[in-house]
Amino acid sequence: MELTTLLQQLINGLSIGSVYAIFALGYTLIFSILGIINFAHGAVFTMGAYFTYALIGSRFGFNGIFANAQLPFGLPFPLALIAGGVLAGLVGVLIERTTFRPLRRRGADPLLTLVSSLGMAVALVNLIQYFVGAEAYSYPSSVLAGLPPSINFGTPEKPLIVRTVQIVIAIISLIILVGLTLFINKTKTGRALRAVSEDGTTASLLGINTDRLIVLTFFISGFVGGIAGTLVGLSVTITGPYFGIAFGLKGLAVIVLGGMGNIPGAVLGGLVIGIAENLLPASAVAYKDAIAFAILFIVLLVRPQGILGRAQITKV
Amino acid sequence: MSAATPMLQIKNLCVNYGAIEALKNVDIDVYPGEIVTLIGANGAGKSTVLRAISRIVSVRSGDMSYEGNDLLKLRPDVVVKQGIAHVPEGRRVLSRLTVEDNLNLGAYVRHDNAAIHADLEQQFERFPRLKERRKQLAGTLSGGEQQMLAIARALMSRPRLLLLDEPSLGLAPIIVLEIFRIIRELNQQDGVTVLLVEQNAHLALQTAARGYVLEAGKIAFHDDTSRLIDDERVKRAYMG
Repeated sequence: MELTTLLQQLINGLSIGSVYAIFALGYTLIFSILGIINFAHGAVFTMGAYFTYALIGSRFGFNGIFANAQLPFGLPFPLALIAGGVLAGLVGVLIERTTFRPLRRRGADPLLTLVSSLGMAVALVNLIQYFVGAEAYSYPSSVLAGLPPSINFGTPEKPLIVRTVQIVIAIISLIILVGLTLFINKTKTGRALRAVSEDGTTASLLGINTDRLIVLTFFISGFVGGIAGTLVGLSVTITGPYFGIAFGLKGLAVIVLGGMGNIPGAVLGGLVIGIAENLLPASAVAYKDAIAFAILFIVLLVRPQGILGRAQITKV
Repeated sequence: MSAATPMLQIKNLCVNYGAIEALKNVDIDVYPGEIVTLIGANGAGKSTVLRAISRIVSVRSGDMSYEGNDLLKLRPDVVVKQGIAHVPEGRRVLSRLTVEDNLNLGAYVRHDNAAIHADLEQQFERFPRLKERRKQLAGTLSGGEQQMLAIARALMSRPRLLLLDEPSLGLAPIIVLEIFRIIRELNQQDGVTVLLVEQNAHLALQTAARGYVLEAGKIAFHDDTSRLIDDERVKRAYMG
């Protein structure tokens, strides 16, 4: 591979890897607090992409209840991205209320909650199909109006061309990563979240309302998931109601690779998988998804707790 | 104690763990300013009493009131706001957080930042070992230091009633003496009321003014500690 191509693919890898990272953080936050994977996270990702699509004023297709529907207004893309994330966050809160909390109140086995979230994922995917049909949607190219479609970082003789959308994605993901890290490590609420994540009962004894923090966690998780959905939709296209499910599997690979419930681990896992996929020779691109899982498989053989994971310690 | 109304009044408290009756018709009164101890064998239900007061186990029946408020109507986080702090059995410091973060979390229910900061410094004065280790992860502290951190953390909420669960557990005798000296000091100088659960009956009876003896989930008897210390039943069962 030529150096410029290598650099180009490295940038593309960093860009998609950073989206993997923020998406995977959605899983990680919930896992670190409840010890449960929220399988409905992939569906929230999909919904975020559709919300933003609707909010910029785009028209829906031929099938579903919302056939040919369109909002009477269109928000500028940055605003729609945030509003779509907020709506996805509210879907996350709804999932907590309907799928997690009732089982938690009854002291259900985590495995049951996991299956319950899987059921919620299927229900949401079907709901999406019911409303907007199964077709693919693309964001209009006008969303990045004012920006050139690509930027040449090289010279005219030795071009190093990167799609602008990849750069936009990387910057937005980076802002979210930094913001979330600061929130968790530097604020009072973030400190309380870490307390709940380590020991919920003790957190209660310190006067922390754990239920409220769990709701907040689901909101943040949905918010970052929804933003990730929009960003991937922007980079490729919204492939239909199952858009987030395949992506969701890769998100799982990312968190297992980085170390379950570990925030730097989710980031590292995302970047490793994103870059590895993009460094494949053109002839092997069809096997891109297999790469993520092959890396996962190999890492787990050597380090079952993931790259940055803590070895399991049984609490007494 | 002579004060007319109890600060904490527990009546007919029953707690079940599944089919097991952990507490049966427990009555306890704690008056403002006293140290009351709850002694008993392992598994008698001592910790369960404290966990019921903090509302982290569900109560089957009975009444609990604190300064005139019905505790059974409160969530655990609200109990802390009412001025009750609980130092749980086994200390339960947040091992992945720093000493300072643990202490700040103790003041989670408060919003008076300047006073919180002053209290933090006050805890460091009381427990100089914690000051040296303020940036260290709590999990790296020794057992005695963790116990000090757990007590200091509870004090950060400025409690009027302090629930202490087995503060001597697993600690070297010299550290135990130091911890009990601090408990007495908190009571005498700062006026904190203390409900102390202890397996070390001798030490507990020396520290408290009144004591309750819990046997298999029931209060067997209670009295001033000066009389309990010489009580044959207590001597036989708990002081070897």
